[in-house]
Amino acid sequence: MTVEKLNRQRVVHLLDAFARGDIEAALSCCTDDVDFLTHAPIDILPHMVPRHGKAELRALWQTVWSRYSEVRYKAPHIVAEGDEVATYMHTYFRKRSNDRVVQFDIAVFYTFRNGQVAQIREIIDSYDLVQQVLEREIGPLIVGAGVDGG
Amino acid sequence: MTEHSLWRFSRALHRAINDRHFEDIETLIDEDVEWALYGPIDMFPFLGARQGKDAVLDVIRQLADNFQVRRFDRESIMLGVDSAASMVRYSLTALDSNKPISLRVAQFAQFRAGKLVSLRVLIDTFDLVEQALGRAIHLPKMSSVG
Repeated sequence: MTVEKLNRQRVVHLLDAFARGDIEAALSCCTDDVDFLTHAPIDILPHMVPRHGKAELRALWQTVWSRYSEVRYKAPHIVAEGDEVATYMHTYFRKRSNDRVVQFDIAVFYTFRNGQVAQIREIIDSYDLVQQVLEREIGPLIVGAGVDGG
Repeated sequence: MTEHSLWRFSRALHRAINDRHFEDIETLIDEDVEWALYGPIDMFPFLGARQGKDAVLDVIRQLADNFQVRRFDRESIMLGVDSAASMVRYSLTALDSNKPISLRVAQFAQFRAGKLVSLRVLIDTFDLVEQALGRAIHLPKMSSVG
């Protein structure tokens, strides 16, 4: 099996573990010094700050699972080359608070070291994500109260 | 060794946006291409999904009308046989305001016979909107629900 196929399987294994709530199994796919960065407004989504190391990543994933009761994903595009794998995913998170589903697409880039994930980089349509989490349109807020005068 | 389709497409796209030279990019897009740049289409009409070559060329012309690419850095790139994924940091200039805009973009492309058949692009759109507005959007922290 090529390293690309192997790493692709490893990413799917990590994603499946996370989606069933098995955080320790997901973390076992990562190096001790795993580095996580998502590009999102951390002043609004403070738990999405950069994370370094398994303990910090565990805390993030536990926070996610404390707020969502169900996580599903589909990965229509997975591209692997050498020690890197990129996934394009449709994701679905069901809120514990009201059962509403937050649905968004996400690009995740994984870098492997010695067969484990050493780096995770995410890009999300963050404007849409914030609207769904907030459960309201941001547009009226931009032109209305609560926004800095430009 | 044959050059990967991504490189030809990337060069042609940048030439189309910066130089308004559309002849090369026209030859590299499949008639039935599926194209999606995810983001708030009410603020940025060139975002959203498009189907077919003519619609995609129209979007590329709109991008050329609105932006100049000053610089781009590929931070991560993976090439498959007929596919490619990349994370790219773009430094753009918005032509209407001359404002600099910096974006990190994830691109997933698929090719058939050297032509683009699918492109999906994700952007940190909240950051994009703030840059376009020239100010921060203040919303409550979602410390318990987000």
